Amino acid sequence: MRVVNEFTKGLWREIPPFRLVLGLCPVLAVTTAAKNGMAMGLATTFVLVCSNVLVSLLRNVIPRKVRIAAFIVVIASFVVIVELMMQAYYYPMYKILGLFIPLIVVNCLILGRAEAFASKNPLLPSLADGLGMGIGFTLSLTFLGAVREIVGNGTLFGMSVMWSSYEPFSVMVKAPGAFLCLGVILGLMNWVSTLQRRRG
Amino acid sequence: MVIVLALICGCSGLVLSFTNQVTLEQRENQLLTYVQGPSIQSVLSGREFDNDPIQDRFTVALGEDDQGDPVELTVFPAKKGGETVAMAYASSGVGYGGEIDVMVGFDLEGDLTGLSIMTHAETPGLGARIEEPSFTEQFRGLEVRKGVQLSQDGGEIDGVSGASLSSKGVVSAINKAADVFPKVKEEVS
Repeated sequence: MRVVNEFTKGLWREIPPFRLVLGLCPVLAVTTAAKNGMAMGLATTFVLVCSNVLVSLLRNVIPRKVRIAAFIVVIASFVVIVELMMQAYYYPMYKILGLFIPLIVVNCLILGRAEAFASKNPLLPSLADGLGMGIGFTLSLTFLGAVREIVGNGTLFGMSVMWSSYEPFSVMVKAPGAFLCLGVILGLMNWVSTLQRRRG
Repeated sequence: MVIVLALICGCSGLVLSFTNQVTLEQRENQLLTYVQGPSIQSVLSGREFDNDPIQDRFTVALGEDDQGDPVELTVFPAKKGGETVAMAYASSGVGYGGEIDVMVGFDLEGDLTGLSIMTHAETPGLGARIEEPSFTEQFRGLEVRKGVQLSQDGGEIDGVSGASLSSKGVVSAINKAADVFPKVKEEVS
């Protein structure tokens, strides 16, 4: 039961970019299209799950004083693995995401989960936590990318979805669009939560 | 404390060098397909062929450089029915802003089948116009055995106006490529 709970909290109650407001650098930078957001989310999920598992397994071995250094080494290793894999099997996406793949190392979501959760909990809950948070992160990035792509470019996953005379707001796929979009989503989520609380 | 950290770092290094080894070949392939691939296709596009030039690539030894290290050239052959009809390989020349890397295609007679500029650091709007078809298309079908020259030096190529150094860089890259053509052709036939 607890494991299920740890998994689902990442999907809504603590959905990373919108609730914890963690790991915003890739959230803002790569969500110019749904596909990019999804790829970034999946790469982050892989690193998050692997690092959570390993940190949880090593939690009694790693001395407290050097725990952050140890976490970073673990995370960085998985990031390099993702980077090499992406270069080898999905080169076009590697070119799009470019610098933001190595930057997963400093994504505070991953270090945050390692420090706040995996280093204090056994294997199974840590795995569930990583998976839930990762999927939540992926969904958020895909959603944000989809909204920006539809409004800013008139397409979704590269396919045209708007009527033919639709004039795209190209500001949405540029940097300010990321802030606008994120702000609106945060506002909507807070509004929904307030409504729920009033009813409850 | 130090031992644990050192152990973790050691394991990480081990895993990473292993991953690096495993993916090395595949990563090279991807680079060839996505970075050089379009250039290779474009310089060979004038000829009909039915193979994958990247898959069939081979290297030719060109002797040694000043330091005594062997110099190798990767050649991408275009074949039709198993017979080589043309080949592409990279060359470079020095322009105004630095090295200009080009891909050149030759048919069996040593005439150019095409030229494609891969990377350069020329001035945008001036030297960078060497990328434009109006410049590169002049080279298609050109006989280069005796060397190529710009029209200002009495040759047959009109350089990009206001960018003679960039144009010269490309021409020197072609002449370099033409110099090694006999050696490459030996390997092909």
